[in-house]
Amino acid sequence: MEYILTAESLSKQYRHFKALDSFSIHVPKGSIYGFVGKNGAGKTTFIRLICGLQEPTSGSYTLYGAKNTDPGITKSRRRMGAVVETPSIYLDMTAEDNLKEQYRIIGLPSFDDIPELLRLVGLENTGKKKAKNFSLGMKQRLGIAIALAGSPDFLILDEPVNGLDPQGIIEMRELILKLNQERQITFLISSHILDELSRLATHYGFIDSGHMVKELSARELDAACRKCIRVQVSDIQTLTRVLDEMDIEYNIFSDTMADIFARVNVSSLTLALAEQGCDVISLTEREESLESFYVNLIGGGKAS
Amino acid sequence: MSRLLSADFAKLKKSRFFWLCIIGMAVFGLYMKIMEYISAQQYLSRSPALHSMLSIYAMVIGFLTAAFVSLFVGTEYSDGTIRNKLIIGHSRAAIYFSNLITCSAAGLFMCLAYLLPAAAVGIPLCGIETADFRYIVSMFLCSFVMTLAFTSLCTLVGMLCQNKAVTAVVTILSVCLLFVASIYISARLNEPETYQEVTALAEDGSVTSTRDVPNPGYLRGTQRQIYEFLDEFLPTGQSVILTRGDQGSPFLLMSAYSAGIAAAAAGIGIFLFRKRDIK
Repeated sequence: MEYILTAESLSKQYRHFKALDSFSIHVPKGSIYGFVGKNGAGKTTFIRLICGLQEPTSGSYTLYGAKNTDPGITKSRRRMGAVVETPSIYLDMTAEDNLKEQYRIIGLPSFDDIPELLRLVGLENTGKKKAKNFSLGMKQRLGIAIALAGSPDFLILDEPVNGLDPQGIIEMRELILKLNQERQITFLISSHILDELSRLATHYGFIDSGHMVKELSARELDAACRKCIRVQVSDIQTLTRVLDEMDIEYNIFSDTMADIFARVNVSSLTLALAEQGCDVISLTEREESLESFYVNLIGGGKAS
Repeated sequence: MSRLLSADFAKLKKSRFFWLCIIGMAVFGLYMKIMEYISAQQYLSRSPALHSMLSIYAMVIGFLTAAFVSLFVGTEYSDGTIRNKLIIGHSRAAIYFSNLITCSAAGLFMCLAYLLPAAAVGIPLCGIETADFRYIVSMFLCSFVMTLAFTSLCTLVGMLCQNKAVTAVVTILSVCLLFVASIYISARLNEPETYQEVTALAEDGSVTSTRDVPNPGYLRGTQRQIYEFLDEFLPTGQSVILTRGDQGSPFLLMSAYSAGIAAAAAGIGIFLFRKRDIK
């Protein structure tokens, strides 16, 4: 798999606080990577490092094959755009002037693309209205338009739906999907709004206390979260033998517990196990959501 | 860096505060020169010298640059737009230099905004002499380099402090304090070496004798040298000298001091800004 962004053993320390601790990540090309973690987990710190706003204390990251210590990293950064925390826009300027300013910073020779870019983010009718008078959703979209100036193929969005109303959230989601599908832009989206992220992401990375806890694809997550029967038995080997005989898919995760991914006849299963001297201690039907998966992963007591 | 300069100058062109400063300085220049001419005609019945009142802007340029730089550079942090420059791959040194050059240019434009209208009115009203011209040119050059020192110091604070309000308070307050210090230094240096002691009869008040007595407040030796150095070295001290219009002032040396301050502030600023964590 081709990765746009990778990090290994990345650490960032602020005085006595370790914001990132041996952090690693792998963002595949063309994906929408959902970067999940509670507030203060280290999501924004990592994004700041990638954007060159801060230097890592130790470890390294690679962007388009260029290591963060290589001089070529600045060239790689030209291929990315980012909206870190709040949209970076001049509040005293109009949407068009903001984009003109960004075009000058990038060094684009012509402003001809600006109307199209404004249309893409739905800000074509803002006229002479200054950005300070925009709604939060409009500011977010202008921030994305600025990040899109220069046609990047990797976009980092830090909490893009924070503070948006339901309509704004839908518009933001549609915009991200459109850019991903039509322009093949890879996204890294940090968020703690899991429900929203689950509608977009093709890959996930779960961060806690500055450490990457788990990375998996949406398909793997779907498999982990699908409907199942969790069974606790006295003899797990007998259970596996019986389930194999019945040709039923399952997953064992402890000495006494397993998840069964099929609609089973409970009486038949219990009888079959009883015949071989195995007791069924408990049986529960479960369906895991991204939220419960995250809570289980991070630790229920610790999760916000 | 040309791309950053193009963006920063475009931003400068759109800055309302910058144009307010330019208009304010132009009106100030016209007002001071015309009022001086009117009062000279009224009380002395002659025209004032061209150079008189021409450098009084040196007194306000420190405050204006402090306010302007803190707003111009502070907006980059408060609006978060400095991130756009870093994300796109511009080096920190280029970002610092671009801001420094733009703010310095803005400071010089403000000087010219005072000087040009004042000179345009002053030359027809007061006339121009060769001696005047040489003095005026060296005074202008000194004031320009002094403005660069002010902008370089304010840019240093503005680029390192990520809070616009704190930058404004620190820069304006520092200029204020340095001005008070410079005015005190100047007052101490201008104390007379001696003063006259007068002896008078108490009943009818008639003077019987006068004699020169050494002034205990007069600075001598190393202490005077230190005060003189600070007076000529500090940009605020130079402002006081230029405003006073001392013809015998060492303008070349003062310009060298200012250039040194501007270069040192830029060097320190870039060194520290490169290590700074941006939020």
